Amino acid sequence: MKNLGVFTRALRNVSRRKIRVLLVVVALSLSMAILVSIPAGIMANQEAAKELKANYEAYLGDIQEEIKEAYTLLEVRYASGDFAGGGGFPEVGSFPEGGGFFGGGGGRRPGFFRSENFFNESLVLEIEALEGTDAVIPFFEKTEGTNQTISTPFGTSIEMLIPDYTIVGVVLDNQIISYYNVLPNTILEGRNLEEGDTGTVLLSLNSTDYFGAGMGDPVDILGNSFTVVGIYDETDILGLNRVYMSLSEAQVITGCEGQVSSIDVYATNENVVDELALEISALDENITITTYETRLSGIEFRAEMAEENLELAEATLSQTQALAFQEIGIAIVATSLIVLFTMLYTVRERTKEIGVLKAIGFSNGNIMSQFMLEGVMISAIAGLVGVVIGTIAAPVLSTALLPPITGINSNSVNVTSFVGRQVSLPGLSLSATAAIPSVELLLLVFIGALLLGALGTLYPAWRASRTSPMEALRHE
Amino acid sequence: MSDLALKTENLDKLFKLGKREVRALSDVNLDIEKGDFVSIMGPSGSGKTTLLNVLGCLDKPTHGTVSLDGVNVTAVPEKALHKTRKHTVGFIFQTFNLMPWLNAVENVELPMEGTKMSKDERKKRARELLQMVGLSQRAEHRPHKLSAGEQQRVAIARALANNPAIVLADEPTGNLDAKTKYEIVRLLSKLNTDQGTTIIMVTHDRQVGSRASRMLFLNDGRLLKKERKGSHFMQLTCSHCGKEIQPDDTFCAGCGKKLGLDKEG
Repeated sequence: MKNLGVFTRALRNVSRRKIRVLLVVVALSLSMAILVSIPAGIMANQEAAKELKANYEAYLGDIQEEIKEAYTLLEVRYASGDFAGGGGFPEVGSFPEGGGFFGGGGGRRPGFFRSENFFNESLVLEIEALEGTDAVIPFFEKTEGTNQTISTPFGTSIEMLIPDYTIVGVVLDNQIISYYNVLPNTILEGRNLEEGDTGTVLLSLNSTDYFGAGMGDPVDILGNSFTVVGIYDETDILGLNRVYMSLSEAQVITGCEGQVSSIDVYATNENVVDELALEISALDENITITTYETRLSGIEFRAEMAEENLELAEATLSQTQALAFQEIGIAIVATSLIVLFTMLYTVRERTKEIGVLKAIGFSNGNIMSQFMLEGVMISAIAGLVGVVIGTIAAPVLSTALLPPITGINSNSVNVTSFVGRQVSLPGLSLSATAAIPSVELLLLVFIGALLLGALGTLYPAWRASRTSPMEALRHE
Repeated sequence: MSDLALKTENLDKLFKLGKREVRALSDVNLDIEKGDFVSIMGPSGSGKTTLLNVLGCLDKPTHGTVSLDGVNVTAVPEKALHKTRKHTVGFIFQTFNLMPWLNAVENVELPMEGTKMSKDERKKRARELLQMVGLSQRAEHRPHKLSAGEQQRVAIARALANNPAIVLADEPTGNLDAKTKYEIVRLLSKLNTDQGTTIIMVTHDRQVGSRASRMLFLNDGRLLKKERKGSHFMQLTCSHCGKEIQPDDTFCAGCGKKLGLDKEG
């Protein structure tokens, strides 16, 4: 009860100079709003950066896996008439968004206008017998279509296959499926193929139109009935209608028992790759081998770009934080100075009053606490207003006060590849993270406002308390 | 405890104005008994206000001692002096110095803040004091709604709040017109006779000073030897025609107009 009078008096003193208090509150609350917005923005940026980093790291991890695979992978293809198969396809540049390097949906890469030549399955066993092989994975691939005769302007005519769909046969072995990139990984509906599947197929999204079948429907392929267990997202630029099934069933329905179209050979380590390639070539005269050396530079380039981008994002983030600290510092100093000068002016203006209060028996402590209370009260009002403004304006203010971070404020990162093409790095898209101040932050800023108010008032209040009553009474 | 409300011994006060030293008080020896109404008179710059400031513990003497109610206040450390100012001294100023944003009661309550009294007790005492100075009807008014005389009455009530041993009035009538001046002096005089309040009043106005029971004269910081018994009388003039009037007159004998003096006062 004793101090209630002081409190009421402080409140009345504060309300005595309404315009001044209003201006001070406006100025202070803007400072406070900045103090709310910047940390909120920084926190949001940090969250985004964390997400970005995780994305980059996952992406780099994938690339590392690819590189590792690429070093030890030997693609065994049929040599004659294969004019654009496997390794010969465009590598660097237009990577399909969201996908790996290895063709549509991450599954087997398809041949393009591949002549349908096959190896005998016994070749698999022969390669397995060689020293330095880790895994030997055969594939069967056959495009079904209709032969059409096309007339040329020169009076001749050529017969060519207009493809309807491609059957891809994969060894359905759990170990191979889980460890190697043999099946598409972009399942939209249903499930992927599994070990022991028979009479089941995985359709590409575009092939569902061709077959007029959906998830769980039966489809007729070359007179055999299959059930659709899954549909995957076909993002291949070639847009082939593809049908995945088990290797043996593919061989049977196409009448190609005991034949395979390509073999992926994984060497135990990259040092034996060259020797292994020679040994495999010696097994059959039709063999051509791609060791992916040509593709490596492209993959490495992507890894470099990703790393550079991550570094860039981290660098901008730390620059942003430095700037944020400066801005917070300025806001803190400004707040203290505004309170300091306002209270100094108030003390000066009320010198006579201080003299009177001292003459009627107020102690230095009474006077000091009176002014402290007034300063803190103004800061509290400003703090409340600032917290409200800050909560509403944080997303806008933080964007205005902090520089944008590359890769954080955009959905994907565009880089210029070494061949001068714009490349969009996949897998790095981020949802825009809005700066929303937490309750803790708001509370902290409000308490901060009180402390800054107290800090700014300390000197003026001390000066007021030290005023000589006699001199103060003479003051007009 | 002695019967002296105030005693000074060899009081000197020097001010430094640049390199020049100005002696504002010089060897002032003063004994004021409890219940005295003393006026200190003298021309401007004679050191009246300085003396009052030193007596009221607002300023320290350069030499000498001041005893208030038997306590040597010159020995009291600065930090504790506010207690003396609060409990032993009551101040009345020429310019009233009321807090403009507080009403009459709140102004009177102000010195009681921080004492052992409860809020209700403080309010009660403030109202009693306002009644004593004849302002019970104006208790809720803020200073700017009060006339100069009324403001000075509030200030007097405020000075009495903590029942001080001595009331120091610095030119209490300096800002008032003749009629109000009379009211205020009569009020102080009444407080002195009825309540036994010890009052020291500094004034340069002979009419006002003569209302005190003792008149002291200060010149160049020295207390003059001559001392007069006050008459408790003050020559008043009609504000309309300027003729002499008696304190208890309701109408001017000269022009016959109503004087409107406060009979209570």
